[in-house]
Amino acid sequence: MIDQKNLLSQITEISFTVNDLNLYLDTHPLDENALNAFKDAMTQRKQLLQTYADNFEPLTMNCICPDSNNKTKSQTKYPDQRHFTWSDGPLPWEGGAF
Amino acid sequence: MWTYEKRLQFPVNIKNTCPKTASLIISQFGGPDGELAASMRYLSQRYSMPCKEVGGLLTDIGTEELGHLEMICSIIYQLTKNLTIEQAKTAGFDAYYIDHTTALWPMAAGGVPFNACEFQSKGDAITDLVEDLAAEQKARTTYDNLIRIIAEPDVREPLKFLRAREVVHFQRFGEALENIKTTLNPKNYYYYNPEFDKQFVKKEM
Repeated sequence: MIDQKNLLSQITEISFTVNDLNLYLDTHPLDENALNAFKDAMTQRKQLLQTYADNFEPLTMNCICPDSNNKTKSQTKYPDQRHFTWSDGPLPWEGGAF
Repeated sequence: MWTYEKRLQFPVNIKNTCPKTASLIISQFGGPDGELAASMRYLSQRYSMPCKEVGGLLTDIGTEELGHLEMICSIIYQLTKNLTIEQAKTAGFDAYYIDHTTALWPMAAGGVPFNACEFQSKGDAITDLVEDLAAEQKARTTYDNLIRIIAEPDVREPLKFLRAREVVHFQRFGEALENIKTTLNPKNYYYYNPEFDKQFVKKEM
């Protein structure tokens, strides 16, 4: 059983790394260490977002798939119907899955 | 083009209702140095920025500010979503409650509605970047003021995160200003408007 809160924490952390490196690379586009760190962090972020969408709701438009999302049927109005999964899961301003 | 990511940049989970705190933090939504002004400032300035990399930085920081706007609104929403009528009457939230109930509406802590005059988009790269540097410091000072008087850890943690981001953005804008200067005459960086007097700006890729 995947711990949703823990997975979302990992996504928050790695996405912060991506975001901060993005701004740094905007002003240091040739920094080799930062380029490598960005590449690694982005790879991890994509994998984590995909794992999250497979088990729970999709967090980005690119992760929406009615056939593979939310295998745990978490927080959905349509647990046994093929449906648009973008509305599954908690709203971020309600605290999200934390 | 933008797409939405269905999560906050940093978690906001507030247990206790406190309209007084909400009425102070609302300044970082629609106040003079708030996140709405920040995002609109950078996203407005970027079009005429003469240096492509600086236009890119303004886009990325302006986008992050939209995420900060969402965090601030989430804090205010969670501080007031279980508001009782007694709390609405007593905690300095009464006037806001009359006009907006517990909805989000951008204004300053002092009650002044959000106004585009909170920011500038001047069409001069030096002028605009110096404004951006000052804006980040003004926002940091506002977060300092909030953190000094708010004791609740649930509220302080996201505010501390947002304060730290102001410091990073200040750093990046400082670097962007240096970048712009490399395209100008080093004998007097401030003699021309690099966005308008294009004949004096060195060509970049």
